[in-house]
Amino acid sequence: MKRGWITWDKTELPPSAFESRLAVLRQHLAAADLPAVVIYTDIWKSNQGRYFSNIMPYWNRALLVIPRDSAPILLCGLSPRVYPWIRSVTILDEIRPSQNIPLQLSQLRTEKGWTKVGVLDLPQIPWDLAVPNAVDVPWNSVRPQPDDAELSMHRLAAKMAREILAEEIPHGVDAIDHAFVGRLERRFRRAGAEDLLILLTNGATPPLPPNGSNLGQSFSLTLALEYRGHWAKISRSIVPHVPGDSNSKTELLSGPYPWEACNVADLTSGALFALHTETRQDGRRLFQGDSYWQGPNGAELL
Amino acid sequence: MTEQGWDLLLLYGHTWRKDFFRCLVNFNFSGPHAVAAVDRSGEVRVIVSDQWDLEGLAAEGRASFEPGFAAGLSRFITNSGSAKIAVAGKELMQSRFTSTDHASATAAVEELRRVKSPEEITLLRQAAELSDRGYQHFANAAEPGMTEYELVAEVESFLKTNGAEDNFMLIASGGTEVVGMKPPTERKLQVGDSVTTELTPQVDGYYAQICRTLVIGEPSAKQLEAFAIFEEARQAAEDLLKPGVDIADVARVQNDVFRKFGYGEYTGSKYTRVRGHNLGLHPDESPYVLEDVNYIVKEGMVVIAHPNTYLPLSGYMVFGDTLLVTANGCTSLNTTERKLFRK
Repeated sequence: MKRGWITWDKTELPPSAFESRLAVLRQHLAAADLPAVVIYTDIWKSNQGRYFSNIMPYWNRALLVIPRDSAPILLCGLSPRVYPWIRSVTILDEIRPSQNIPLQLSQLRTEKGWTKVGVLDLPQIPWDLAVPNAVDVPWNSVRPQPDDAELSMHRLAAKMAREILAEEIPHGVDAIDHAFVGRLERRFRRAGAEDLLILLTNGATPPLPPNGSNLGQSFSLTLALEYRGHWAKISRSIVPHVPGDSNSKTELLSGPYPWEACNVADLTSGALFALHTETRQDGRRLFQGDSYWQGPNGAELL
Repeated sequence: MTEQGWDLLLLYGHTWRKDFFRCLVNFNFSGPHAVAAVDRSGEVRVIVSDQWDLEGLAAEGRASFEPGFAAGLSRFITNSGSAKIAVAGKELMQSRFTSTDHASATAAVEELRRVKSPEEITLLRQAAELSDRGYQHFANAAEPGMTEYELVAEVESFLKTNGAEDNFMLIASGGTEVVGMKPPTERKLQVGDSVTTELTPQVDGYYAQICRTLVIGEPSAKQLEAFAIFEEARQAAEDLLKPGVDIADVARVQNDVFRKFGYGEYTGSKYTRVRGHNLGLHPDESPYVLEDVNYIVKEGMVVIAHPNTYLPLSGYMVFGDTLLVTANGCTSLNTTERKLFRK
């Protein structure tokens, strides 16, 4: 679950950004003659709900319903006792308690007279939340390019990851991986990171969750960092990286998940992604990587 | 599987809910998806969606990496030639991963998971021991002027340093205006605050939980009065919990204490969620401890009974331990003192 600082700083991410995103979405709904779209969100599959409303159901799941001509509605199992907090960190006002989310959605549709609705990435909706009489609204059709606010937030995440890690990575030499992760958790979370995931290797494997190993003198780590709903993922080695990389791993950051393996060839214009490269030195595997967006002039570092 | 007529059982996990996958292949994948498949011969095969996960699984049997997870899973199912396929975690799956042809094995596997093996109990003891140390760190670190998220950062650092894979944690601070817990905010701790936390470290897949309330400064008379009610409710649950008891009664005896003191209205969903829950590979497993949930408790279950709720005396308060159901009762896996902490 999320146990970092979830907040909404309107000077960083202005309400107008959400208004613009909702306008694009509503244009799509109008063109498709749909009265509303349903967006699934949970702790980890949160990018899309966050993009349109800043909602993070920190240990649960929810449906974000965006009508074509009225304010978004959240259907969620979180207690009404936390609704004031939800309202303070999102654009949402109407929240309906939904222990049974499909039933609540059905009641909402009846109330609004919606016989047909759109579902964002319909084939990806969880099996138990299948929406009858629904039309697929592909993510790429309503978020064709990242807007300036989105890019700015991802750049902040990447900057935080790079700068703090540059200071901290020397402390990993000869450390036990658990201890080094603990040190990084403290530093990043106190700096306001909402979430992070750290994978490490002492050169024998790719970066993996810590297992009590000594990192030795030539280790690498991969850090996924979420800053106020926006992810960046980087890899760094204690040893200076040498060109001549032999392998790489590409992950899409702008899909529904924080990251998801993909092929470079599949990256479309506007995609946010992480690229990790591997090289070997003295038989040890070393990793380096950064986050990028596929801009008009090619891949640009975030 | 033979009893159910299943030829192939898939155990699905995604980044949030890895528990069905990990009950067969206890590997902490990075995600977002993984499936473990077992056939009637007992052969286990694994499909992951991250190439580094594949290398991490090297010793775990036959594994493959499918960047296009939906297509890879579909191919695997077709190639298995299995007539009857069941999926544990089917409800969590993306619709495109499964179909009406697949039975849900979720409830059956959940039932298998409820009673813990000796090896699982060992891990839960380790997690409970870490939760005790984590709470001590929480109590030591909390001080006036510290924000909630800074306090959580200190606890998170401690738990990860000491081997926790993950941690489920809620927090709240303040007075009678506090009606529940949530992720940490920028609110700064103040003298007189009740600081509540559910702290739930994960060790090798298994979560144990501790719930305690700490007062910054000297507790007020009302905070002490409220805590006495919580203590009586917690004790009532632990006195009752044993094999053969209906879990609904474990909730009822807690709520009866609040009713006795005239606070019955604060035992409902307006003020609280559950009076406890099962623990294991997920921090919030069923059965939930609620008066309208009937389930007969079995030896070997690991449960937290926590009478956490709002009271007008004190605001939200929490209190509870991880409990192992034994042959004749239950025993706490926690050793943290059962008191209203003060700082």
